[in-house]
Amino acid sequence: MPVIIDTEKCGKIKNCPGEGLCIKICEQGALIEEDDDVVLVPENCDDCDLCIQNCPNQAISKE
Amino acid sequence: MASIERNGDQKRSLEHKNEKCVGCGICADICPTESIRLGPVLPIARGLVKMDYINLNNDKCALCGLCAAACPFDALEFKIDDKNIKELEAYPKWEHEAKIDEGSCIYCGHCVKVCPKDAIFMQKTMPERSEFVIGETEINEDKCIYCGMCEDICPAEAITIEPNDVSSSNQEIAKGINIDESKCVYCGLCRRICPEDAIKIICTTCMYRDEIKEPEIKGDIILDEEECINCGWCQEICPKDAPVVTKPFEGQIYMDEEADCKGDSCHACKDVCPCNAVSIVDNLSEINPDLCVLCGACAKACPQDRVVVKRDKINLNNIRSKSWQKRISTLMGDSA
Repeated sequence: MPVIIDTEKCGKIKNCPGEGLCIKICEQGALIEEDDDVVLVPENCDDCDLCIQNCPNQAISKE
Repeated sequence: MASIERNGDQKRSLEHKNEKCVGCGICADICPTESIRLGPVLPIARGLVKMDYINLNNDKCALCGLCAAACPFDALEFKIDDKNIKELEAYPKWEHEAKIDEGSCIYCGHCVKVCPKDAIFMQKTMPERSEFVIGETEINEDKCIYCGMCEDICPAEAITIEPNDVSSSNQEIAKGINIDESKCVYCGLCRRICPEDAIKIICTTCMYRDEIKEPEIKGDIILDEEECINCGWCQEICPKDAPVVTKPFEGQIYMDEEADCKGDSCHACKDVCPCNAVSIVDNLSEINPDLCVLCGACAKACPQDRVVVKRDKINLNNIRSKSWQKRISTLMGDSA
């Protein structure tokens, strides 16, 4: 089951302390940048949870 | 490089050396005042964020020195009146070490190739080949017809015939024939194939084999104990059992088979392991316990909590303080 991004906690990439760390840490291309937002590509998510563990805003979770 | 320094009755200083730190978080686990915060180890190890593995809280740190005493990688340096506590009698001492017995070493260099910290340096001098491959060659150029049989068959490619530009006024097919004695091994094949019996070969090595001195390989092997993390790679790879490694912890590391592993998608454990002990096989991570120091960095980096580290002995001695013993004992057992 793909991850869920809490857009409120996430905010804009330019304000992210990790400068979009989740995008950089995901090697599956399941998280991409679109207009300074982090956007999920659910079909690419492999459930590795690296983004959940490493998001500095704790904005990524699972149901 | 983070550091804390205070001057009271004594001058006390704590310095974090990030280049030696592996992000295992042992210091953060045992700090009595919770003054050490472990950073995002995987992004740091992958170079995605530029920050130190740990963060020292200047306001909370009591400068007790426990973190420095217990860091298995020597990444924290604690000094009292400019004296490193490693040199002070009252402080704990690690028994971990790695030694290479130079008497057993044959200078094959396997350990140099596998050391994850590039902590082993080796230099070897091979004996001069010409001292051991000895003989004589002679070509009778009056008999030689430059047919080239010897040149073609020579296994050492030691024979060359220098061709000539043949014309109506010059019918000499070759300028000459030469045997390069630095390549010749005096096997005698040229002599046997020569249709004109023009070649003489004397193999001195063959005649006096037992009288020629043994070839001696000289070398030096140095293990830089400052860089060594006592992972055991050298000990495992050495065909002559020359290195002897005492690790910081004894115990077990294994995978919780109930837990998920995303292998090639994740490989967090592999990226943070300072020992090169992790491999991804068939999309699952595997840890070779023989190469592991039980630091637990992989267990902390794994998003699935799949790695189980169970330490049952810590090779840190002379822990005189009861409260320190208590803190350090929290590293034992199932800490994953």
